[in-house]
Amino acid sequence: MSTEKQTLRRILDRLFVPLTVGPTLLWIAAIIVYPTAKLLISSFQFRNPVTNEMEFVGLRNFRRLVLAREGGSATFGVFSPEFVAVTKNTVVYVGCSVTISFLLGLGIALLLNKDLKGRGWFRTAVIVPWILPYVMSGLMWRWMFQADFGAINGLLQQLGVISGNVPFLSDGGLAMIALIIADVWVFTPFIIIILLAGLQNVPEQLYDAAEVDGAGRWSRFWNVTYPFLKPSILVALTIRIIFDIRALDLVWVMTGGGPGKATEVWASWLYRTAQVFNSPGPGAALGVVLLAVTFAIVAILYKVFGESPYEA
Amino acid sequence: MSTDSSKLNRIRRSLGLETQNEWPSVVRERLGTYALLSVYLVVIWFPIYYIFITSLKPTSEVLSLPITFFPQNPTVGNYVDIFVNRPFESYTLNSVMVATTTTVICVTLGTLTGYSFSRHDFFGNKTLLLSIVGARMIPPIALIVPFFQIMANPPLIGGLTGSLYDTRLALIFTYTFFNLPFAVWIMKNYFDGVPESLDEQARIDGCSRWEAFFKIILPMAKPGIAATAILAFIFSWNEFVFALVLTSSEAAQTLPIAVSLFVADDFVDWAHLAAGGMIAALPGILFGLFFQQYIVSGLTQGAVKE
Repeated sequence: MSTEKQTLRRILDRLFVPLTVGPTLLWIAAIIVYPTAKLLISSFQFRNPVTNEMEFVGLRNFRRLVLAREGGSATFGVFSPEFVAVTKNTVVYVGCSVTISFLLGLGIALLLNKDLKGRGWFRTAVIVPWILPYVMSGLMWRWMFQADFGAINGLLQQLGVISGNVPFLSDGGLAMIALIIADVWVFTPFIIIILLAGLQNVPEQLYDAAEVDGAGRWSRFWNVTYPFLKPSILVALTIRIIFDIRALDLVWVMTGGGPGKATEVWASWLYRTAQVFNSPGPGAALGVVLLAVTFAIVAILYKVFGESPYEA
Repeated sequence: MSTDSSKLNRIRRSLGLETQNEWPSVVRERLGTYALLSVYLVVIWFPIYYIFITSLKPTSEVLSLPITFFPQNPTVGNYVDIFVNRPFESYTLNSVMVATTTTVICVTLGTLTGYSFSRHDFFGNKTLLLSIVGARMIPPIALIVPFFQIMANPPLIGGLTGSLYDTRLALIFTYTFFNLPFAVWIMKNYFDGVPESLDEQARIDGCSRWEAFFKIILPMAKPGIAATAILAFIFSWNEFVFALVLTSSEAAQTLPIAVSLFVADDFVDWAHLAAGGMIAALPGILFGLFFQQYIVSGLTQGAVKE
């Protein structure tokens, strides 16, 4: 091999890390860092209607959306009624759907973890709802809940549970319940996947030992399964919560935030705000709030759950 | 004789059989498990079944009472209609192009970068990896405003491309934003599981770093690459919010948008919506049925390993 070729090889080897990592970092800078910086800057700006220039307005975007406007009404001290209402909806929506899908997902994961014939087949069938486009799922559930020709009205009437049509999606409370059902339907498979993977980490001998000790079902779960499952639970809950807070798809196609503002959550409010104003400022301000809330939730979850005792 | 009966007793005990007439508790438990899982499956698959049969019904049957749970006159008319009366071939092509290109970019960059993060200690690699992973926590919807601004008036390349609004390119750029960090993370974890002694052996045998990577390590990473590719494809194929913000015509609108367009202010064309929805759902259903193990391994590599 000629010396030039060897020198070239050596130079190329030296450049391995810069050449493999560099493009990704540049790409990420362009597609993540730059937009995030622009988001922060825009949140402090507003388009001047006369000159059409972006002007620095300090905290005005935050004040007019999140905080009580000057001279306007306020609830909970400093927050605007709209912000409080939307936050309440978001908490109900995320809280109920995460709790229900977690418990359901845990139950199904425990069943699927058993030594069953046809387990692979069951797993495949269980996962599918999560892989479908959320928009398709949302519209599918809107059709299920449809007032005149929907399957749920049809089924409930044929079973004699209700006598007339129930307009699920035009009643505020029922619309929220419908939304939660759709959300649980879509995201429970995700919980199942993550928890099933976690259950593989539980050493089989520990169950046998617990059985010898005469531990009951509940005690076995609490003392053997749970400590090993804890890291998976943390991951499943974290991802589930932050993805639910940002989720627009289901809400947008099922209820559009309505009836009235009954199912308006942060994501749909943000989208609406970004469209309504002839300025990027207010939408960006809500984006900053969403970003801050997301990071705060992750921090709190990791603080509360901490590290599993079995993790070395 | 005595050995026979003791053997029988052992089998009985192992089955949890206390008396001869009782169902063994193991069998009972297993049946219970099957029953619960079956009920669950019927409930979660019913909506998919219902939208599927809706797609096979003519509108007159969809909008009539009582509701039919088996189509009376099944027809593929709705599927034909949406390709004849609406540009569904454009929507499908857009979806295929956007999802495929995004996947190729993310898998290529994710594999190279993931490998370097797995094998090499370089300046600030921990911090860099942490920030790449942290980027996954940024809610995409928080960035719809800056992404709209950027795509309407792209910096640096704007002179060449003009506005990227309502182009597939805008969607491809945007979709790499949430898929690339994920791809790097999955591949890094995957390479962590490939023994480093293989690299060393290759280097001793005279391979350059590039040769060692492409000839020895990359072929071993095929399952990881498959998992990354399938997830990136599904995430891009299903994406809705950015497509809603960044596109406005059949030049770039993808299938999820196309399906939502069947919803008008006062009327929803359910029969055709169902057909469009089934087309949008098809790759997901196929991937789920045939590549389930890759989806599961990709998700757990990406999520659980810390």
